Amino acid sequence: MTVLGVAIGVAAVVSTLLASRAAVASMTGDVASIAGAARLEVTRPGGIAMADIELLRPVCDEALLVPIIEGTALVPEMGELVRILGVDLLVDSQARSIELSAPDLQAARDELLFGNGAAMASSLAGQLSLQPGDDLELVVRSRKTSLEVVATFEPERFGSAWERVLLVDVAVAQELLARTGRIDRIELVPRGAAATQDELQALAARTAAQLPEGYRVAPSSARRDEGTRMVRALEFNLTALAGVSVLVGIVLVATTLATSIVQRRAQIALLRSLGASRAQLTGAVLIEAATIGLVGGVVGVLLGWVGASAAVGSVSTTVSTIAEGVIPGRINMDLRWALLGIALGLLAAMLAAILPLREALRTPPLQGLRSEHAESVTRRSFRSRLFALALLLGAAIVFVNLPPLEDRPIWAMMAVLCLLGTLLVLSGPLIDLFSGIRPSFAQTGVGVPLRLAQAALEAGRTRAAWAAAAVGVAVALAVSMTTMVGSFRQSVVDWTNQAMPSDLFLRPLAADSGGLAGRIDPEVVKIAREQIGSENVDPFYQSKAYFRNSPILLAGAAFAVVAREGGVPFLDGRPSTVAFGAALESGEVVVNEPFAQRFDVERGDLLELETPGGSIHRRVGGIYRDYSGHTGRVVLDLADFFSFYPDEGPQSVSIFVDKDVASARSALAGALAGRFEVELLDNREVRAEVLTVFERTFGVTIALQLISSVVAAIAVVAVLTALIHERRRELAVVRVLGGSRRQLFGLVLGEALLLGLAGATGGLIIGLSAGYVLVAVVNLQSFGWTLQFLMPTSLWGTLLSVIPACLLAGIFPAFLALRATPRESLHASS
Amino acid sequence: MQTLDLVSNLHETQSRVLAPVATLIGVERTYARGRLAVPALRGVDIELVPGELVALTGPSGCGKSTLLNILAAVDRADGGSVLVSGQDLCTASESQLTLLRRRSIGVVFQDFQLMPNLTAYENVALPLALDGRTDSVRVLELLSRVGLAQRGSHYPSELSGGEQQRVAVARALVHRPELVVADEPTGNLDSASGRHVLDLLMDLRREEGAALVLATHDRMVAARADRELRLLDGRIASPEA
Ligand SMILES: Nc1ncnc2c1ncn2[C@@H]1O[C@H](COP(=O)(O)OP(=O)(O)OP(=O)(O)O)[C@@H](O)[C@H]1O
Ligand SMILES: [Mg+2]
Repeated sequence: MTVLGVAIGVAAVVSTLLASRAAVASMTGDVASIAGAARLEVTRPGGIAMADIELLRPVCDEALLVPIIEGTALVPEMGELVRILGVDLLVDSQARSIELSAPDLQAARDELLFGNGAAMASSLAGQLSLQPGDDLELVVRSRKTSLEVVATFEPERFGSAWERVLLVDVAVAQELLARTGRIDRIELVPRGAAATQDELQALAARTAAQLPEGYRVAPSSARRDEGTRMVRALEFNLTALAGVSVLVGIVLVATTLATSIVQRRAQIALLRSLGASRAQLTGAVLIEAATIGLVGGVVGVLLGWVGASAAVGSVSTTVSTIAEGVIPGRINMDLRWALLGIALGLLAAMLAAILPLREALRTPPLQGLRSEHAESVTRRSFRSRLFALALLLGAAIVFVNLPPLEDRPIWAMMAVLCLLGTLLVLSGPLIDLFSGIRPSFAQTGVGVPLRLAQAALEAGRTRAAWAAAAVGVAVALAVSMTTMVGSFRQSVVDWTNQAMPSDLFLRPLAADSGGLAGRIDPEVVKIAREQIGSENVDPFYQSKAYFRNSPILLAGAAFAVVAREGGVPFLDGRPSTVAFGAALESGEVVVNEPFAQRFDVERGDLLELETPGGSIHRRVGGIYRDYSGHTGRVVLDLADFFSFYPDEGPQSVSIFVDKDVASARSALAGALAGRFEVELLDNREVRAEVLTVFERTFGVTIALQLISSVVAAIAVVAVLTALIHERRRELAVVRVLGGSRRQLFGLVLGEALLLGLAGATGGLIIGLSAGYVLVAVVNLQSFGWTLQFLMPTSLWGTLLSVIPACLLAGIFPAFLALRATPRESLHASS
Repeated sequence: MQTLDLVSNLHETQSRVLAPVATLIGVERTYARGRLAVPALRGVDIELVPGELVALTGPSGCGKSTLLNILAAVDRADGGSVLVSGQDLCTASESQLTLLRRRSIGVVFQDFQLMPNLTAYENVALPLALDGRTDSVRVLELLSRVGLAQRGSHYPSELSGGEQQRVAVARALVHRPELVVADEPTGNLDSASGRHVLDLLMDLRREEGAALVLATHDRMVAARADRELRLLDGRIASPEA
């Protein structure tokens, strides 16, 4: 059971790490593996005109220039997204080592270069049971199309990004993605020997010198770093959560180890009188702990691997709300993670050994055992506890006020940890408090078992305190999570109600994992305008731009439509009709809260944005709430947007209908049918879906919370079992004195109840404070969202479920207590 | 109602005077030690009348503790019949045994067996409390009878062995049992405090009118009993004197 405790904790950490790593890996698209030999890349928000490659002719001798265009497509047969990689095959073969295989390789190459052919990983082809020569059905930019598979290749390793790549010629990709004449980036592969860092920098500088404003030259790794940065905050939060279950696991191991020590008190006492030294005892305890840690670590890594596969979908969903175009990755278990997990288990067990070690070393030699009574009621100096408490709370307050570290709310999380730490300090006094309230025997019935339970807890108060701490941490975790998720949910519900007023909502098909397949064909917008009237159609465009050298999202929306229809809540409380009307009139932009938060921007500030149309200057007309992502976003009016971005199609279209929604919907659907694959949702469906995504996003969080609750329950069982074992003899005496089986049962359940109460009380207080920190600090720091802080209504539910859980945990030990007859238990220890 | 209660009480008192507290006929108890059967009692016949003091003696391993356990309704006999307070222990249910222990039997252990985390007062009050009763007058009375009136709020670890055993004596008598069972109650005490405890035990149970069965190795103690039962190899060696 101890091993299980370690294993569960380790599993939680390993699976969280693996799953989020898998998501990160897929989001950054295994940039490295796809980049191949490229070291530098030239990009420009909104894309590069194909002809601009000519500008780089001067550096041609130094580096190979490789044009790349990328996009996503949905494979309806699998319900999964694939990456379309458009390359110039002639030059590309020098940048990437892709070995094509086809029955007739030359013909296949020709078809790839000049025809409409595509190459894909042999594993993907196998999955779709496609042979070279077959057609692959695709939905790209909401249009149904197909490509002929002419060749396959072997990804260099299992699970690599290449497994989900469709390799096509640049021209084919341009047509598919409607970016005629434009590419996403030009990769530079230095010629000759591997360039040094300095040479690379010099090359970058020379390249940049050839290019007009708006272009960027950066190492290929920069894109990966950027992606990683976005996910880091999320990963950090999840890992911190998983870490808590390790914490609970440590408490569990400590209590169970201490238990097994207590159970062998007599043996240890004998050993001591036979001359065993403290060092020898220490060694024995540590070896035992190490064994538990090792086995628990190994089991945990295995469990974690399984858990990660289950969690990867949920994590990817979360990630895809942060960054678009995420294709869920595979779980890669490498030795590093396995070793890390095992090391974690070992470390946890070793830490946990401290308490039992004390217990073992305190065991007097046999001669002393007889006169020694159960753990005497020594109250640790009140003042030192108060000091520790003040220290932890002070640290928490300091941490809460520190700014985030590299976008990660590390300090805020430390504050939460400090708050949880106070539980360890508090649980002892809490146990004292609850066993200090003397229900004199006057209250009959319940009174006696309860009083005896208190006495028993008092006797084993160190361990009881640990168990209460474990319960407390679990409760605190549950309460803070409920608070956070509850506050979050309410904020999102309010926001969707306000921000999504449209009657109909058009968007590209979604993959099973929730990722959206690219954009909507501009043609669709045209049809919608014809059908419903252009004053009722609000297409939402989004592209990339740079602000203060950081990538941001630049969006275009029909301000006129929003100004009339409303929606979109503003931070300053102005109705969005007013805010958008004013912005439209004065040519201002609106920004979302994460943008304002991250760059410390206020209404009225002048922004300088790097767009494909060069640097533009726009004033901030308002800051709106946005829970749809944590990337900074600047929204322009459509007319403004199109003055420097080509129309590649919107991300989504909101439609307002004056008359009958259902008939408008079916009419529009009819007009689009056959040519376009889009989803047309009505308002209710959109809101429901936002919440579905929300629930899915928090699935991992809730799973982690469940895990630590289970671990805490195990801790309660372990501690109670130990206490009962220790108190075997006393229980027997109670029986001899006329205690009934029911009273005995009540006694054990009473202990469980007191443990639960002590833990729950502490956990509740700490949980609410931690929840506040999560809502007000962590969320703001990692996502830039201010949420309304809501006391969860289910608080009582959480609390009320702790008590039955503890009682439930008490049942097994209670039966254990009943199993021995009074004579046997009296005899056993006499 | 009141009168009815009185009548029934009277009835009880009368029957107590008349009927024996405990009747054991042909009691056998065999322990299974692995595959080996260890017969601890091989046909013991005893009758205890209310208020009498019986010393149980015999060499170590003769079955004294086994017999006392059966008398205290803590252990069941394998053969023969056991009647305590009119209750047939061989057929009684577990909850009937519990009630019997709770109301009719008091026990003093060799090694005191006080609850370490209850005060002296609470230890004495425990048998009453288990029965859902409170009677602080009675508890305080007994505490002062054993000379510990001032020590009620002390925990066992704060009391000497003799004092602890005196608390145990008070606990064994607090609920006015008909039968008190004591297994070598002075075995863990020095002779002076042992004698003190024994005096208290004997005096108190006489005042309360409880029968006392006392296992002992001490000839002096045995001499003070109304009669002595000598056990040898699980059988009564001396005929009831
Ligand atoms: N639980 C048990 N399992 C097996 N054998 C037992 C058990 N308890 C007692 N015995 C055996 O039964 C016999 C009687 O034991 P008992 O404890 O009644 O002796 P005793 O007269 O009380 O001895 P002492 O004076 O040393 O206390 C002994 O031979 C003992 O070994
Ligand atoms: Mg004995």
